[in-house]
Amino acid sequence: METIKNYLESMFASLPNTSEVRKAKAELLQMMEDKYNELIEEGESENAAVGTVISEFGNLEELSDDLGLKEELHETLERQASEDRRHVTLDEVKGFIDSRTKKALFLSLGIFLCIISVAGPIIFGSNGKAALGVGLMFTCITLGVGSIIYSSFAEHDFSFLKHELCMIDMSTASYVKEHRRSFESIRAICMTIGVMLCVACWVPCVFFGSSYGYVGASLLFFFVGFGVFLIVYGNTISKGYDKLLRVNDNNTISGTYSGKTEKEVRYKSKTAETIVQVYWPFVTSIYLIVSFLTFQWGITWIIWPIAGAAHKAVLINCQEDDE
Amino acid sequence: MVAISSDVIRGYNDTMILSILKKEPSYGYSISKQIKTISDGKYAIKETTLYSAFTRMEKNEYIESFVAEQSPDGNGKKRTYYRITDKGLEYYDSKCEEWELTKEVVENFIEYKGEE
Repeated sequence: METIKNYLESMFASLPNTSEVRKAKAELLQMMEDKYNELIEEGESENAAVGTVISEFGNLEELSDDLGLKEELHETLERQASEDRRHVTLDEVKGFIDSRTKKALFLSLGIFLCIISVAGPIIFGSNGKAALGVGLMFTCITLGVGSIIYSSFAEHDFSFLKHELCMIDMSTASYVKEHRRSFESIRAICMTIGVMLCVACWVPCVFFGSSYGYVGASLLFFFVGFGVFLIVYGNTISKGYDKLLRVNDNNTISGTYSGKTEKEVRYKSKTAETIVQVYWPFVTSIYLIVSFLTFQWGITWIIWPIAGAAHKAVLINCQEDDE
Repeated sequence: MVAISSDVIRGYNDTMILSILKKEPSYGYSISKQIKTISDGKYAIKETTLYSAFTRMEKNEYIESFVAEQSPDGNGKKRTYYRITDKGLEYYDSKCEEWELTKEVVENFIEYKGEE
């Protein structure tokens, strides 16, 4: 049955994404499914049944005439010819996911190293070994920046995804979706622990008190660093999957492969989209700035629940309602 | 073995579908199966042809579609059923007359060679 579905999807891939076309696809699939099930019940082998169903399917040109899609079909075909979309293979997709994982690791490691670099002067500064501390800091920064630069080259082989128009077929899209789904739980854990670490970064300061203040302060940066590491890691990989699922032309049926998640969110304007996107980084900055300026870590956490409640209001004002 | 020419039969796909829907409302695959049975396995309508006919006839108001469950006990899947309209019945009758005429005219030019 999977073969039949993929066959139908590939037939429809270049057709415009309209409700008429979606209905036609669903109806045809239903008919093919009925026929397939009956052939299987009659004792046909799976391969024979698939063969029969596909050979008796007919052709789409006939259909597009009656759906009043002649012009659209023509237009789509013409656009395709001029655009010349690059077909991304499953192997390339696997390769991209691998290098995206590598990129995420080096990027988040780099940021982690930059954040914890200040721990050096804090620890050794109080022992009178300031030079060692500063040396350590610059080592960390050098390694961190190196790591970030390296991460930006990790996807070099796949720059065509950015510069060329690409497309993926239905089975590749399902592969990506499958992986995104299984990664979703890892990402959720990364986000939760990451945010918790950032929020709780003042705990070591309180715990170690003023006598071992330098331990608390350096641990604070480790907490924030590791928290940011987890958040960046999870988000970078997750964005990679989204990027793959968005390569198809949104005006055609193949644009629906990505599933409903992206389609649901529509912003009222470009500004609204930007506001939603920078919301959490902005809140994090506010939290860190206020906390560092006042050093009232015991109370500044209140920013988070307030921001959480406000987020809902921001979303309501910025996103379009569902149809 | 002579196969049926799709060019010739095209004008009568609607007639076949309407004749089936005249008996009772039905859905895609069931209609295509009945066409095969009634034609004694000599004509198998393609899925795209069938769906085209549905959309075209629905646009012309010869048939109406509605969604219902396949089996009355309610365990079936939801399917799009089609039922014939009064306008469709009229159209069917006129197509039948047209066919009688066509057949009459073409018959005059047909010579049967050999036995059977």
